[in-house]
Amino acid sequence: MDTLNEFRSRQTRRAFLGRSTLGLGAIALSSLAHADERPRNAIGGLTGLPHFAPKAKRVIYLFQSGGPAQMDLFDYKPHLAERFGEEVPKSVYPDERKTTMTSGQKSFPVAPSTMKFARHGQSGIWLSEPQRHLAEMIDDVCVIKSMHTEAINHDPAATLFQTGSVIAGRPSMGSWVGYGLGSENANLPAFVALTSNGTAKAGQPLYDRLWGAGFLPGRFQGVKFRGQGDPILDLYNPAGVTREQRRRMLDSLSRLNNQQSDRFNDPAIATRIAQYELAFRMQMSVPELIDVQNESKSVLNMYGPQAGQVGTYAYNCLLARRLAERGVRFIQLYHRGWDAHGNTPKQISAQCRDTDQPTAALLRDLKQRGMLDDTLVVWGGEFGRTIYCQGKLTNKIYGRDHHPNCFSYWMAGGGVRGGMTYGETDDYSVNVTENPVHVHDLQATIMHQLGIDHERLTYRYQGRDYRLSDVHGEVVKDILI
Amino acid sequence: MRMTVLLFVLLVMDSGTDTRAADGDFARDIRPLLSDACYNCHGPDAKAREGDIRLDDRKAAQDSKVLTSGEMLRRLTSNDPDVRMPPPDSTRMLRPADRAKLVQWLKAGAAWPEDDRHWAFVPPQRPTIPEVQQRKWLRNGIDHFVLSRLERAGRSPSPEADRVALLRRVTFDLTGLPPTLGELDVFLADSSPNAYENAVDRLLNLPAYGEHMALDWMEASRYADTDGYQNDRLRYMWVWRDWLIRSLNDNKSFDRFVIEQMAGDLLPDRNFHTQVATGFNRNHRINSEGGSIPDEWIVEYVADRVETMGTMFLGLTMTCSRCHDHKYDPIEQKDFYRLFAFFNNIAEAGLGPNNGNSPPFIKVPKSWPDLSAGETKFVVPDPPRIKIQQVSVPRPQSGGTDTVMVLHELQKPRDTYLLQRGQYDRPEKSELLRPATPPVLGAWDENWPRNRLGLARWLTSPTHPLTARVTINRIWQHYFGMGLVKTSENFGVQGELPSHPALLDWLATEFIRSGWNVKAMHRLIVTSATYRQSSVAPPVTPESDVENRLLGRGPRKRLSPYEIRDASLLTAGLLVGRMGGPSVKPYMPPGIWRSISNARYKQDKGDKLYRRSLYTYWRRTVPPPSMMIFNAAARETCIVRTDQTTTPLQALTLMNNVAFVEAARMLAERMMKQEGSLSPRSRVAWGFRLVTSREPNAGELDLLLSDLSAYQQEFRRQSKKARALLAIGEMECDPTLNTIDLAAYALVANTLLNLDESITQN
Repeated sequence: MDTLNEFRSRQTRRAFLGRSTLGLGAIALSSLAHADERPRNAIGGLTGLPHFAPKAKRVIYLFQSGGPAQMDLFDYKPHLAERFGEEVPKSVYPDERKTTMTSGQKSFPVAPSTMKFARHGQSGIWLSEPQRHLAEMIDDVCVIKSMHTEAINHDPAATLFQTGSVIAGRPSMGSWVGYGLGSENANLPAFVALTSNGTAKAGQPLYDRLWGAGFLPGRFQGVKFRGQGDPILDLYNPAGVTREQRRRMLDSLSRLNNQQSDRFNDPAIATRIAQYELAFRMQMSVPELIDVQNESKSVLNMYGPQAGQVGTYAYNCLLARRLAERGVRFIQLYHRGWDAHGNTPKQISAQCRDTDQPTAALLRDLKQRGMLDDTLVVWGGEFGRTIYCQGKLTNKIYGRDHHPNCFSYWMAGGGVRGGMTYGETDDYSVNVTENPVHVHDLQATIMHQLGIDHERLTYRYQGRDYRLSDVHGEVVKDILI
Repeated sequence: MRMTVLLFVLLVMDSGTDTRAADGDFARDIRPLLSDACYNCHGPDAKAREGDIRLDDRKAAQDSKVLTSGEMLRRLTSNDPDVRMPPPDSTRMLRPADRAKLVQWLKAGAAWPEDDRHWAFVPPQRPTIPEVQQRKWLRNGIDHFVLSRLERAGRSPSPEADRVALLRRVTFDLTGLPPTLGELDVFLADSSPNAYENAVDRLLNLPAYGEHMALDWMEASRYADTDGYQNDRLRYMWVWRDWLIRSLNDNKSFDRFVIEQMAGDLLPDRNFHTQVATGFNRNHRINSEGGSIPDEWIVEYVADRVETMGTMFLGLTMTCSRCHDHKYDPIEQKDFYRLFAFFNNIAEAGLGPNNGNSPPFIKVPKSWPDLSAGETKFVVPDPPRIKIQQVSVPRPQSGGTDTVMVLHELQKPRDTYLLQRGQYDRPEKSELLRPATPPVLGAWDENWPRNRLGLARWLTSPTHPLTARVTINRIWQHYFGMGLVKTSENFGVQGELPSHPALLDWLATEFIRSGWNVKAMHRLIVTSATYRQSSVAPPVTPESDVENRLLGRGPRKRLSPYEIRDASLLTAGLLVGRMGGPSVKPYMPPGIWRSISNARYKQDKGDKLYRRSLYTYWRRTVPPPSMMIFNAAARETCIVRTDQTTTPLQALTLMNNVAFVEAARMLAERMMKQEGSLSPRSRVAWGFRLVTSREPNAGELDLLLSDLSAYQQEFRRQSKKARALLAIGEMECDPTLNTIDLAAYALVANTLLNLDESITQN
């Protein structure tokens, strides 16, 4: 038995020796067998990256799924009240590219926002009433009013934002970042996805492809933290199995696998052994990570009453900060429920009840910890909404259909100038009139803040060098510090 | 590292009798560099062309004189950023060694052979079988080519794999399952010279063969049980999958197999079965999202068919030519839309019906798959009947669970135009495009009808340059984990050159000569000495052929996600072998659909938990995680090659997932119930062999037995834990077994199922 124990400890040591840089996305010796693999540095990033000194070490992208209504949140159009019920001129909004949910309407009347707006902060940025928490942080925020896209349906529009193309099969933004930059934390994935539902209305579905690796090697796909069951699929040992038993099993497994490795000289086996050890370490690191109860009361209060409730947007915001602290590179939240076709004002208010306080708390929390400077926070959905009313228009109730030609985003931290607005829209919030920012421009800008030249981070697939921003994209330099 | 790669490139790209004579140098050494560095601006895409210089076309390049005037040489060697090519501020890169190669070529007179067609566009000619030294090693034609290449590199093949490894390898490759102990024993006891060949023949005739081979085709055909966009509504295509399995098991000749899928509705002898086959071209995603514009989506469906055909049969990336002339291959944008025209005549709707099959679909008789004579008649599907819902959303009728989607032609075809930037609302109406195939890919026989049937005949014509090569390459990839052309999805100018060009052509011509006999080709490969080599590699050195491109050893590869689960079910005694029928819903994590969509997963019970993995319900926007974790194709678009990365999530799945824990405890039961083998040692040895196919050595057994007794002690102290472990999964434990022992054996079985060896083919 003694020799056996000795062997065990040696095996364990051997397995641990190789562990220092074996991040979730960082290693795959087996892919030596795939020459598409390019040389990598100690943390699993491509050598030569970042291309230049990054302003942001990490990104937290708060994706607001469904398409928030820009004119009810950021794009204040006070003069439209006078045009209540008037037809939106065809010269402003032509019939093409209206979705078939409204293209058959007989009338396209102006539905001015019923939201009260006010100026906030030193910068005096206009915000609607339901965003009173964000108002307190507005001087750290850059509001972009001139976003635009081509897609008018949820699926292609969201896919375009997350992968740079409406066509399925391309890698998501977080996968590109992990592929290029590697992982700062050997025990956690470089890219984490978190989802939550609107409490009033669950909202539009999401799709695994939004955090998928597309044609990049599978290990770069976002790891989804779940709101139900194990936080990462099959993270916990089966009922009845102790951590000591798992350790014993892994020691034997490693020993048996090593024998195979010695025989076949296949580097894939060493990789597999290392990944089992990483799995074992994740079983420890993840429960500690997701336990928000050891946060101070004041922090929990800051994120609001739902902060302790797994699977809510508030909890996910808090978790995002904890992930950011631990070196996770790309943290992507998805909050559903912004698809306000029917009673838009009511739904917008409900969405803001879920999200406004936690979003602002995340900014404040990062700032208090000195992390906002090198954390880029991005907020926005897949498109905007129409100024014309979908369905019946009253002075209290209106609906809004999908609108691709202009909508609002905001960014904060990570080298982006706070307290500014960028871009302008016309009197109807239908078209961009100044400084347009396309989806690919936003992607180029996010990559730029991470020290990546979006034109140079490419991957060859089917004989072509692909990149996140397709063949487009310009960094929005005017909003950068 | 760099050195290794370099050496290796030299190793693989070595010339000799196995490449096409002297002209090969341009195609092999020069054009790939031109393509990569120059074609972006000086290639086939007329719109992107700079300075009116093109380097993809021999005549144009020579007429422009840049090759011989010194201009190109100057551009390559200048340090002036305004002169130097590729421009330093562009994303095109040219490595110093490659630049030197081009310079060398220009200085030597820029030889450019008259017949400069890309190798893959020249129809395969049957090569002569090369002479070799070690004749004793040879078993069939394949081996001549492989050995000749090895001998030229001064290497030898590996010895034959041991019989256990061999049977395990071929059983997985042909059926997706490990051999049973009975099959192993019979094989090991069979000392006849044809024992292996007999085993191969037995395997080729098992129904599991068709089930296993169906998977590659299902992944490439983007087969799924849902529509794939937004709410990802349900559809019913399993009848097509049944057709597929049966066709493979019946060894339908490959040309007929293709023709039925491409044009089974247009055949002179069309019937219900050939009609079902056309579901192949309806497996693409369909958008039901309210608000979608129908014309936009019909274009997407038709384009998807062209692209899928391009990848599966032509090995070409047609997608590029949808928006512009191809940057590298001689496929013009017009060529894309001429192919598009073949598929633009389907009586389909732009929007899906929001649950259920989208027209055209046909009703499947209750008796399927055993149709009566009267039921095998061709059926004319109803045309789409569009109803307006939600103000102006135009939806067609929906086909229920007893229908399957098929192709059916419109009475009057839609007009096809080139679409600028590939956008549905930017047709180039000045020229109506007729269905036609790209001239560079071989001639069109005017006896063929100008429709999908003609297209299918063109694809399967014996003189077609690509179909046979691309198909045989994918078959090769099935066995060796990598094709002879590594980029099995791309045979174009930017694709990799074949490691064994003559072997590829020999196999392609052999395939055609055999009457497109698929099983014969599988048999040819698995009975070759090449396939039968041991997969043991020498220690890695800079000279190592890490990727095994020279084929100096047998294949070693991780099992597919489907094989991993099926093998564990089989060894646990849980696998339910019933074939065909609607997809089933085995274990899934809680809330798997509900957490991100508006649908709920309702797990099945009983036998349906243990069917083979190809029957697992495939929801495209939330595919089964344990499959995706092991690199399954996502089934959104046509995928013919997936990677094999290793991640900790795979470890977590195999250790903790309910399906694998249940398999472990059921395997433990089998170990405990093993009659005649009363000692724990023999029980564990039996289980080890069941999982890995080989006998464990004494050291391995010692280790597992010491674990077993440790687990027993722990569970004895805490019997509640033993009961908790044994309650995982729906299959009940045998109450007559001792719970402490069973739980301890279950952890040993859990170890066995997690062995690298268990999920690998050696």
